[in-house]
Amino acid sequence: MAGLACTAAALLLLGTVVAGWSRTLRFGLWLQVAGMAVAAVVATAVMVTGVPLGSAFVSGISPALGLDPLSAFFVLVISVPAVPVLIYATASLAGQHRAGVIGVLTGAFLGAMLLVTCARDISTFLAGWELMTLIPAAAILVHRTDREARQTVFIYLALTHLGGTGVWLSMILLSEAGVLADPTRFAGQAVVLQWAVWIAALIGFGVKAGLMPFHVWLPRAHPVAPSHLSALMSGVMLKVAIYGLVRILFFWATPVPTAIGLAVVVLGAVSCVGGITYALFQRELKRLLAFSSIENVGIIALGLGAALLLEMGGQPLWASLAFAAALLHTLNHAVFKSLLFLGAGSVQRAVHSLGIDHLGGLSRRMPWTAAFFILGAIAIAGLPPLNGFVSEWLTLQSLIQVALDGGGVPWSGPLAAAILAATAALAALCFVKVIGLVFLGQPRTPSATAASEVPMAMRVGPGILAGLCVVLGLLPALLLPALAGLRGGPVEVPEHLGLQLPGTGGLPPLALAVALVMLVIALARLRRGHPVAEETPPWTCGGTVEPSLAWTSSAFTKPLRLSWDVLLRPVRDIKVRVRGGITQELSYRGEVPHVFDTKVYEPVANSLSRAFARVRRLQSGLLRSYASFLVALVALLLLVVRLGGIG
Amino acid sequence: MSAVALVVLVIEVVAAALLAPLVTGVIQTTKARLQGRLGPSPFQPYRELRRLWGKSCVNPAGTTVLYRLAPAVVVAAVVCCLVVVAAAVLPPAIPLARPLGSDFILILGLLALARVAVALSAWDTGQGFGLLGAARDLFVAISAEVLMMLTLVLAALPAGSTDLRDMHAAGLGTHPWQNAAHWCGLVAFSLVAITEMGRQPVDNPDTHLELTMIHEGPLLEYAGRDLAYLQWAAAAKHVIMISLLIGIFLPLAGDEPVQIAATLAWFVVVVVGVAFAESFLAKMRLLRVPAFLATGSVVALVGLVTWFVVPAS
Repeated sequence: MAGLACTAAALLLLGTVVAGWSRTLRFGLWLQVAGMAVAAVVATAVMVTGVPLGSAFVSGISPALGLDPLSAFFVLVISVPAVPVLIYATASLAGQHRAGVIGVLTGAFLGAMLLVTCARDISTFLAGWELMTLIPAAAILVHRTDREARQTVFIYLALTHLGGTGVWLSMILLSEAGVLADPTRFAGQAVVLQWAVWIAALIGFGVKAGLMPFHVWLPRAHPVAPSHLSALMSGVMLKVAIYGLVRILFFWATPVPTAIGLAVVVLGAVSCVGGITYALFQRELKRLLAFSSIENVGIIALGLGAALLLEMGGQPLWASLAFAAALLHTLNHAVFKSLLFLGAGSVQRAVHSLGIDHLGGLSRRMPWTAAFFILGAIAIAGLPPLNGFVSEWLTLQSLIQVALDGGGVPWSGPLAAAILAATAALAALCFVKVIGLVFLGQPRTPSATAASEVPMAMRVGPGILAGLCVVLGLLPALLLPALAGLRGGPVEVPEHLGLQLPGTGGLPPLALAVALVMLVIALARLRRGHPVAEETPPWTCGGTVEPSLAWTSSAFTKPLRLSWDVLLRPVRDIKVRVRGGITQELSYRGEVPHVFDTKVYEPVANSLSRAFARVRRLQSGLLRSYASFLVALVALLLLVVRLGGIG
Repeated sequence: MSAVALVVLVIEVVAAALLAPLVTGVIQTTKARLQGRLGPSPFQPYRELRRLWGKSCVNPAGTTVLYRLAPAVVVAAVVCCLVVVAAAVLPPAIPLARPLGSDFILILGLLALARVAVALSAWDTGQGFGLLGAARDLFVAISAEVLMMLTLVLAALPAGSTDLRDMHAAGLGTHPWQNAAHWCGLVAFSLVAITEMGRQPVDNPDTHLELTMIHEGPLLEYAGRDLAYLQWAAAAKHVIMISLLIGIFLPLAGDEPVQIAATLAWFVVVVVGVAFAESFLAKMRLLRVPAFLATGSVVALVGLVTWFVVPAS
C-alpha cells in the first residue's frame, strides 16, 4: 500500500513537470490524472481497512507524512473531483495563453492540498498550507494580467494571510503543547491557551473555508481563475480548510465548550443563508457559483456544529451521524460544485461571456453540457433524489436532534433548521434562475446564438461528475457507516440501504428514485400515445417573443429584492435625458451591493489607510528627526529600567 | 412488508388520488353557496379532467424536453408524497407498508421538486406570465418552507422523531389540548397549508387574471393531458396538506374505527372551513405574504418557547 502511495506521488510529480512544455502538456495532465486515480485507490483502501499508512502525528518539527482514515477521506475529496477536472483541462487548456505554466501550477496545487491532508507534523502542514494559498494566486496572475485580476490577487493574499495567522497560531500552540502526538494533553492546558486555540482556529480556518463574515476574498478570487482551477478552488480547496477545522475541533482541542459549538452553528447559519442570498443577485455565472460555495460551506459547518452540540448533549449516535452528514456534504459539494464550474467554463468558451443575462437557449446548442449542468444544479439545490438532498436531509435531522437534546442550547436546533430550510428554498430559486437564463428560452445575444458544443474531453469530465451526483444520491448508505466511524468512539450506525436511522422516518433514496423515474416514464408514455396539436408560439397576449424583452435575472428575483430591501439595500439609478419635452435617452442601473464590502471591510480598510498615512509622516527623511527618535527610545528604555519594568 | 400492509397502503393512496378532485369541487360548491350562487356540482373537477384527457397537448415553439416532462414530474412527486403521507393519518395499530419511509422532511423535498419542475417549464417557454407565476411561487416558498420546518420541529419534539407515524401517535397519546406548543403548531401549520394549497388569501385558484396569479401562471401554456396532470396534482396537494394537518395536529384518541371516522369527519370540517375562510378573506398583495407567514413563524416560535420553558407534563 505504501508503494502505491509513492506511485501516486511520483505520477503526480512527473505529470506536473512534464506538463510544463506545451508539446507534452496533454501527456502531463494525463499523468496527473493517473496519479490522482491511484491516490483515490489508496485512500479508499485506507478507509475500508482502517489501517493507517506511514507515520502517526508527531509534535516536533521534523517532517513526517502519513495517512489515517480521516485524512484518507479528505484525500478522496481531493482526488475524486480532481480526475474529471484534469480530464477537462486536457482539452480546455489546449491552445490557451501560457497553458504549460498553468498545467504545472495545477499539479502543484493538487500536490500542496495532498501535502496538507497527509502532513503528520506542523512544519509540513504549514508548508503545504502556504503553498495551497500561493499557487492559485500565481495561476490567476499567469492567466490574467489586467488590473482587476491583480487587485483581486492582492485582496485574496492579504485576507487569507491575515486569516492564516489564526492557522499558524492554533497549530503552533497545539504543537508546542505536544497535543498533536497526544491529544489527551489538551485538557491539562491553561484555559487561556485553550480558548486561544479555539478562537484562532475558527477564524483562521474560517477565512480559508469562506465562512461569513470572513468570506470577502472568495467571490473575488474564484471567478478570475481558469475554470478548471476555479472548480478545484471552490470544490476542493475550501474542503482542506474544513479538514483543519475537523482535526482541531474533533480530535486535538477536545472537549469543546458549548460556546464554540454554538459559534460554529451560528457561523454556518449566517454563511448558508447569506451566501445563497447574495448568489441570487450576481450577474456573472462564476461569481454566483462562488457565493453558492459559501452557502454550502455553511451547511457543512451546521453539520459540524450539530455534531459538537450533540456530543455535549450525550447523544453519541447522532453526534456521529451529524459528523457524517457534514462529511457527506463535503464530498457532495466537491462533486457538484466542480461540475458546475466546469459547465461554466464550457459556456464561457462557447459564448465568450458569463453574464447570465447574455446567454439563453444553450440547451439546444450544447445539449451535453446543458444536461450535465442542469443535473448538477438540481443536485446543489437539494432536490430529491440526487445527492444534495441526502446530505441536507441528514443535516436537518441532526439539527432537529439538537432540539431534542443539544447540550444546554436545544433552542439553537430549530432555529438553525428553519434557516437551512430557507436556504434550500433560496437555492431552488437561485438555480432555477440559472438554468432558465443560461440554457432555456431564446438566445439573448448573437454570440449565444452562434454557440456550439465543446470538445469531447470537456464533456467527459462533467459527465463523470454528473454520474457521481446520481450514485452518491442513490447509495449514500454505503458510505454513511464509514463516515460516522471516522469520528471515533464505539458507535453502531444501523446499516440499512434505506437510511433507517433512529428518530427519523427513514429515507430510502434508491426506492424513491425508482418510484419517481418509473412514474415519470409511465406518465410521459400516457401523454405520448396521444395526439399533439400543431406547434404554436408561446402566449404573450398576441405579441412575439423578443430576446430583448425576455425575463432577466433581476426580474425573476424582484419579489425577494422588494421584500428584503431593508437588509439588502438595493441601489437603483435611473437617468432620463429629456429634450424639448421628448425623452431622448434612458439608462438604468440596478444592483445589490455586497453589504460586507460596503459596510464592514471598506470602512475598516479606509480608516487603516488613513491611519497609516498619518504614521508615514514620521518618515520625514530628515536625519535629525531619526536621531531624535533614537534618543527618545533610549531615554524611554532607561526610564523603564529605572522604574523596574525590565531586568 | 406484509401483504396486508401493502394492501392498506394501496387502498389509502388510491382513495386519496380518486377523492382529490372532489376536495376542490366541494370547496368550489360551498363557496358558491356562501356567495348566494347555485355554483357547479362538487363533481365538476372530474368532468373537467375527463374533458382535458380527451384533448390534444400543445408544445409551444422552441420548448425542450423539460417542458414536456414537467407535468409528469409534478404528478410523480405528488404521488410519492401521497405514499409518504399515508402514514400520518392511519391509526398506529393498523399495519402499513412504507416503501418510501415516512419522514416529514421528504415531503418538503418532494414539494420543492414539483415546484422547480413547473418553474423550469416556465423558463422553457420564456413567456412572461408563466415566469411571473414561477417567480412568485418560489418566492412564497421561502417563507413557507421556514414555517413548515418550524411546525415540523414543534410536532417532532413531543414525538422525539420526525417519523409521521410517531408524530401521529404522540398526538393521540398526550391529550394535545393540554399542550400550548401543540396549539401554536396547529395555527402555524394552517397558514402553511393555505399557502401550499394555493388558496386565498395567498393565491386565488379561481382567477385567470395573469397579473395576480401564482400557481395558475405557469399552467397557461399547457393543454390536454398535461393540464389534466397539473390540475389533478393541485387537487392532490390539498389532500396532502389537509391530511398532515389532521394527522399531526388534530388526532382523536379512541378505537380504530372511531379514529378513522374522526379523521374523515375532520377532513370534511377542514374542507368546508377552507371554503368559509376563502369567502371571508380577500387575496392579499404578494409582498404581504411573507409578513403573513412571518406571523405564523412568530406563533411557532412562541410554541417552541413554551416547549423549552415549560416541558410537557
